[in-house]
Amino acid sequence: MSIGENLIRLRYRLIPDQIIGELLSKSWIDTCIPASLLAVTVVVFAAIAPDFLSLDNLSDTGRQLGELGFIAIGLTVVLMAGGIDLSVGSIYGLCNFATLEAFQGLGLPLWLTFLISLGLGGLVGTINGLLIGYLRLRAFLTTLVTLIIVRAIVQTAALTFGEAMTGVAPDRSAWDFVGDGTIAGIPFSLVALAILAVAGHLFLTRSRLGWHVQAVGGSRRSALNAGIPVRRTVFLSYVISGLCCAVAGFLYAARLTNAGPEVGNGTEIMALTAAVLGGISLGGGRGSVSKVLLGTTVVLLITNSLVAMGLRSGGTSFILGLVLLLAVVIDVRWTKNRQKILARVYISPTYFSLPPCPSTAKDSGSVFAANDALTSAEPIGLNAVDGAEDVIFDSQGHLYTGSRQGDVIRFLAPDYAKSEIFAHIGGHPLGMAIDAQDTINVCVSGMGLYAVDQKREVRKLSDQTNRSLFSIRDDSRIRFADDVDIAPDGRMYFSEATVRFDIYEWASDGLELRGNGRIIAYDPRTDTSRTVLSNLIFPNGICVSHDGRSLLFAETWACRISRYWLEGPQAGKVEIITENLPGYPDNINRASDGNYWIALLGMRTPVLDYSLKMPGFRKRMAQRVAFDEWIYPNLNTGMIVKISDSGEVIQSLWDSTGEKHPMITSMREHAGNLYIGGIFNNRIGRLPLPNADPAWTGPRSYWGGR
Amino acid sequence: MTYMNALKPLCFAALTATAVTLCSAAFAAPAEDGLYAESFAAMKGKKVVYMPNALGYDLTEGWLAGLKNEAARLGFEVIVRDPNWNIDAGVQAMQAVVREKPDLLVVQPPDVTSYSRLIQKAQEAGVPVIEVNQMTTAVPDVFVGADWYAIGVANGEAVVKACGQGSGKSGKVAIVQGLITAPASITQVRGINDVFAKHPEIKVVSNQAADWTPSKSNSITTTVLQQNPDLCAIIEAWDGQAVGSATAIHDAGKQGQVFLATSGGGEKTACDNVANGSFTHYVSFDLWDQDRDINNLVKLFLQGKFSPGKQKLALYTPNHEITKENLSARSCWTMDEVKKSGG
Repeated sequence: MSIGENLIRLRYRLIPDQIIGELLSKSWIDTCIPASLLAVTVVVFAAIAPDFLSLDNLSDTGRQLGELGFIAIGLTVVLMAGGIDLSVGSIYGLCNFATLEAFQGLGLPLWLTFLISLGLGGLVGTINGLLIGYLRLRAFLTTLVTLIIVRAIVQTAALTFGEAMTGVAPDRSAWDFVGDGTIAGIPFSLVALAILAVAGHLFLTRSRLGWHVQAVGGSRRSALNAGIPVRRTVFLSYVISGLCCAVAGFLYAARLTNAGPEVGNGTEIMALTAAVLGGISLGGGRGSVSKVLLGTTVVLLITNSLVAMGLRSGGTSFILGLVLLLAVVIDVRWTKNRQKILARVYISPTYFSLPPCPSTAKDSGSVFAANDALTSAEPIGLNAVDGAEDVIFDSQGHLYTGSRQGDVIRFLAPDYAKSEIFAHIGGHPLGMAIDAQDTINVCVSGMGLYAVDQKREVRKLSDQTNRSLFSIRDDSRIRFADDVDIAPDGRMYFSEATVRFDIYEWASDGLELRGNGRIIAYDPRTDTSRTVLSNLIFPNGICVSHDGRSLLFAETWACRISRYWLEGPQAGKVEIITENLPGYPDNINRASDGNYWIALLGMRTPVLDYSLKMPGFRKRMAQRVAFDEWIYPNLNTGMIVKISDSGEVIQSLWDSTGEKHPMITSMREHAGNLYIGGIFNNRIGRLPLPNADPAWTGPRSYWGGR
Repeated sequence: MTYMNALKPLCFAALTATAVTLCSAAFAAPAEDGLYAESFAAMKGKKVVYMPNALGYDLTEGWLAGLKNEAARLGFEVIVRDPNWNIDAGVQAMQAVVREKPDLLVVQPPDVTSYSRLIQKAQEAGVPVIEVNQMTTAVPDVFVGADWYAIGVANGEAVVKACGQGSGKSGKVAIVQGLITAPASITQVRGINDVFAKHPEIKVVSNQAADWTPSKSNSITTTVLQQNPDLCAIIEAWDGQAVGSATAIHDAGKQGQVFLATSGGGEKTACDNVANGSFTHYVSFDLWDQDRDINNLVKLFLQGKFSPGKQKLALYTPNHEITKENLSARSCWTMDEVKKSGG
């Protein structure tokens, strides 16, 4: 190995490239942008604005945050439902005016004043909602019109009633408390906002309507097809926005008693900036209360600090405008490119090397020499099977396999001419193991470990394991359970090929060659699962040894078979027993002669082998070349090898024509025949084994004669 | 070595400057009369926050210029806070004032109520408050500014004279207010209404608010003129927005037929507008006078040991009625003059 190669290996071992992609795929990464923006804002203004971090300043800001926060959260609900509400500023102004008129002008009690304010805000929201939700007018134009009309109403009212409002109303103490009071040192409006924030968060994330709002904003048509009342949801979002503005108007009125018609002018821009800055997508469906509060805080800190710095006329608006522009740019670019960036950086290949591939030429004399032993296999279920990844037999000799449609199919003994759907699971059944009661325990792609008993009842055994301590991704959920076998003590060991990809992305994992897989033990007595081995390179087939003391497992992309000791002095240890296979091992199963059958799903190619040492090359390939055109293993030819208990390769069976059994994912010996499955094949093959024990069956081997 | 050489002239300059300062101080000493040194020392380095509702127009820039002139002479510092017509920003700036506790606050409130609570808080925090031209419900230490009621009365009477009994005119009058919540507007309109109440022949056909903006004033007047082709007079609450009405009258071809009464600080443009017939009757609360008043108060407050919130004083500026007939070169001032020697 050259120095250069060593350096590459070292670099890929030391630098965990995959972290970037995993970070980017977290949903909280969206919140990181406004959060870091807030941090930058705080740092910048703490440095340049006088008294920025003083308690008084923060308390003043907090009081305003209470008002703007209400508006921004209301607006967020509308934005998340896929709409926009430009009328927030004028509703705010209207409710401010109404509050002052009712309280100062008419001398009504404070609670009634509050209800009047809420009623007015709700009314305008209702009008918006009716027009946009039910009459399906354009949100932008409709709320623009409401903005103008409500503003005009406020102006007219101000002209008529404005002067009366300078009067002093009774019940000042409650009024002053709302406008100027604190609860435990925290401004009243901020406390109100905190309550709304919690309620709003629960509403958006935990309530039916909240989910509907997100669904409608995410995809209106899908929401409709899913039976969500789209119009009502849109309608309600505007009502909520109106009510939020009403509360904000009420708080503002109590704080400033400013009856001017200009109150709320431009507030829609501030609220919109806050929302967009917080990462609430203008396209709908994406956002959260915490994000919008971050955005609101940033906007307020910026405006307040600029004012405190004594920026001359227009400067503040100018800078706020720039910030909005920046936020929109980030929003658009981020939304548009996040998936692209993720796709670019997610796949992060690492260094790996395989020894030179053993010869498979027909005349090489190698144990792997190509032959046509499998061409004599007779087909079972020709053109009827679809996705027979694994095949297995129960004690009665019936054959079970999976299908792409999510069924467990049963072929009836003795001739396997008739088949039936034994049970429907829903996900693609992959590796199977049968227990003493003839219950089929099966790994289901995307779902986990399931059991189907002879009453055809489907039961989930496990779909999660313990989360690894330092993983960025939540790897507790099982995404890609692959093969399972049962230890003598009843524990089931199953492999999860990769925690970073789904089954249809198996090739991406093959390109990475990072140890992304693991073996999980499910204990039926406690009904719990624990990861026993991790960082395996696409662990696939799993087979409890004949003596029941160890477990053989295949690591597909590493072309090797390892043994994991379940008991004895080496318990818990792993040793590689077969290395440098000429192809990629899939399932492993017991043979009647005390050896093991291994299916190789495809063959190695020199180019792919060579590229393993060039992670950079593979990364570029993943980024620049279409998925279909990557360098793949040779999947047109598969083979079956037999290894001894110590891992020595004894025999290989081929279909070098690739006509009957090109890609082989599994094989199972049963009563003197070898049954061959292939996930993409159109048949199950039956190959008579001349020297095999015709009385030997899997269930008998595992659970004794019956 | 080279940069030591470069520093040498700097050192020299610094030394010279110090010497000069010392000398001037030495020369100042003989003028000591028992108050001189003490009063100068009392004002030196004091902080005065000046907060108009917006910079960028004659009044607020003029007051600032006057303040700056005296500040430069007496050594106090003028800190400017500009909310730029934005009441929320103004409130924030007021809050900053309460926190920073300058020695004096000179503020032009935008309306009656918004700053009230904070004016009180500023006084409680030990900051004396001088309100300029507009009053809040919270009473400041001193009010300096126009006598808006008298302005309303003066313009009202001028209009009655032009449109009332015996004038042969329709008696239709339009009032264009400023910001509806602004005391300048409210009080003026009160004065106008009180005059009109005694003259039933005057009919107010329109009473709208232009929010201190000429464009709104322009559109209001344009419409009013269309609705009332025989309109006799318009009273505008402020010359800054009255130019909108003047243009509307001009565009309607009615200059000379419609009496336009307004008021303001007496900047040169206003006199030009009187001269060219745009404004028929102009009431000037002379800014030059106000600058002097403000500065006198600032000086008193910076020297005195007043307890904020205790005194309730007012200096209402005298009004000068300006028409084409009495217009003279001294009727108005220019910004350059104020900057040079105002205050």
